[in-house]
Amino acid sequence: MKIEVKDLTERVPGTGDFIKIDQEKCTGCGRCIIICVMNLWKLRDGIAILDEDYHNKCLECASCYQVCESDAISFSYPAGGTGIIYKNG
Amino acid sequence: MRFEILKEYDVIIVGGGPGGSSAAKVAAEKGLKTIFFERGRKPGEKNSSGCGLGPRLWRDFDFMKELSPEICPSMRQTTFAKNCFINKDDQLVGMVMARPTESVTYEPAKSFITMNIYRSEFDPWVADLAIRAGAELKTSTLIKGLLKEKGKVVGVIDEKGEKYKSPIVIGADGVVSMVAKEAGLRAKWGPLEVTLVPQYDFKCDRKKLDDLIRDEAVTIWWGVNFPAAYQVFFGDGFHIGLGNWMSWWDKNPLYYLNRVIGLDYFQKWIKLLDAKPREVQAHLLPWKDYPRDTFTDNVMLIGDAGGFPCPLEAEGIYPAMLTGKLAAEVAVKAISDGDTSKSALQAYEAAWQKSSVGIEFESGPELSNIWRELPFKPKETMTWFIPLYMELMGGIYDWSEPHVIRVRQIIEKIQSYMPVAIPFIMKHVMPLLAEIMGEDLQQLGLLPDMLKKLLPKPKKKR
Repeated sequence: MKIEVKDLTERVPGTGDFIKIDQEKCTGCGRCIIICVMNLWKLRDGIAILDEDYHNKCLECASCYQVCESDAISFSYPAGGTGIIYKNG
Repeated sequence: MRFEILKEYDVIIVGGGPGGSSAAKVAAEKGLKTIFFERGRKPGEKNSSGCGLGPRLWRDFDFMKELSPEICPSMRQTTFAKNCFINKDDQLVGMVMARPTESVTYEPAKSFITMNIYRSEFDPWVADLAIRAGAELKTSTLIKGLLKEKGKVVGVIDEKGEKYKSPIVIGADGVVSMVAKEAGLRAKWGPLEVTLVPQYDFKCDRKKLDDLIRDEAVTIWWGVNFPAAYQVFFGDGFHIGLGNWMSWWDKNPLYYLNRVIGLDYFQKWIKLLDAKPREVQAHLLPWKDYPRDTFTDNVMLIGDAGGFPCPLEAEGIYPAMLTGKLAAEVAVKAISDGDTSKSALQAYEAAWQKSSVGIEFESGPELSNIWRELPFKPKETMTWFIPLYMELMGGIYDWSEPHVIRVRQIIEKIQSYMPVAIPFIMKHVMPLLAEIMGEDLQQLGLLPDMLKKLLPKPKKKR
C-alpha cells in the first residue's frame, strides 16, 4: 500500500519564513536529510539546502532544528493562524 | 510614532493546549486577570500529539465528567489494550489483550484505560472552560519573545510587536518552547530527551469500527524491524504512529511506519475496516528521565514545555493539565504575596514533585531506560525478547509432541536466550524493581531470598 503523503496535509498560507539555515555553520552531516519525514532537505556541494517550497510541504515538527548538532538550522513557528492544520491530530 | 497600548494582566499563559487551558481556568477561577495565547486559529489544530485521556483526569478534574461524544464526536472508550508481537520475518506471532486488572483500585479506572479523542475537538472544549471561568483567549497569535526589564521577565511580545505585561508568565508552548529558551531555562533538548513521532490518521467506516473494534481500542505493535508502534482508535478513524530518539533514525522515519502498515495482519484490518489514509502528522515529543529547570524568576514551565510527559510511554495530556493547575495555584499565592521571584516559585517544583506526576518521575530514569532498551532498540532487544515471551505465553498450546516433551522443548529454548536475557534483566529490570519498591521489596514474600540478594540497593530519594 503506497501512501502519498503530499495529499494528506492541509495548510493556511502566509507562514512567512520559519526555517533558516546558516550555511557557514552547516557541516553537511546529513542528519536533517534523514530525519525529515517530508524529504525537504538535500545536500548541495556538501551543504544542506532546504526545499524552496517548504512553506507548502513542511509539517512543522522542528526535527531538522532539533537534530542539527552544529546549530546551523533555526526554527520558529509560522505566523499565528497559518501553516499546517491537523484536523485529526 | 506608533501609539502603544500596554495590556496588563496578573498572569500570561503562552499556549492554548490542554495544559495552558487548565492553567488559565484555575487562574481565572481564583480571580487572577488571565490571558492565554494560541498560535492556531483555534486550540488543537496545530502540532498537538497525544490523544488518550487516562482515568486520572476523571479522578483529579471534576469537569471531565461533562466530556461526552456530543462534545467530542471522535471519542472512543478503550477498555482493552491489545499487544501484537511481530517477529523478524514480519509475521504476527502472538497477541496479548488485557482489560484493567483486579489490582486497579478506583472507578472509572476499572472501566476504561483511555478515552481517545482528536485534539481538534478536545482542546477547544478545555479552552472554552477557561474562557467561561473568565480567562481571555487570543487565537492566531504567535508569541515571539519575553518582555524583559533589567533582565527580569515582565511579560510577552507577540509577532506584531504588541506587548502584554504580567508578573508571571507560564510557558505552555510545547516541545519547542520559546518561553523556556528566552527565560534561559533551556536552549534545545539533548539528544536523549526528545523523540520524533510520525503518524498517520486513517479514516474508517464508523459502523465497522463499532462492530469490529468496539472498546478493544489501543493496539501496541511490538516488532523486530521497527520501534514499537501504537494504534489508537477513535469514533471514525485511527492513528498509527511510532517514535524514537532523534539519533536513532537511519532512514526516513516513514519507512518504519510504512513497514508496520505493510504487515499482513495490519492490512487485514485495513480491509475489514475499509480504512483509508486521511492525514499525515509528525511531532517532537519530550521523553525525559526527570523534568529539570521548570521555573525561574517570574516564569514556570508546564506540560511538554517543562518536559513532563510520562517517562515510561510519554503520555503528555494528564501531566500537562496537572502541572498547569499546580502552576496556576502557585501563581495565585505568589501574586497575593507580592513575590514572584524564583525562590517564591520554588513552591511550583515542590508541588509537582509531590503530585501524581512527580511520583511517576521518582523512578523516571529506570522507567525511561526500560523503554529505551526494549521497544526503542528493536533490532538488538526485540529479536530475543519476542520469541522468548511467546515461548512463555504460547509454547504449550501445541499438539506437535506430547505435552511433557513440549515443556522440555520450551524450557530448552528459553534457556538458549538466557545468556542475553539475564544480563538484560540484571541491568535494566532489577534496578527498576529496586527503585520502585525500595525497602518494601525485601519484605515481600513473593521473591525467593536468592533473588533478593541480587537486587541492587535503591538510590537515595530525591
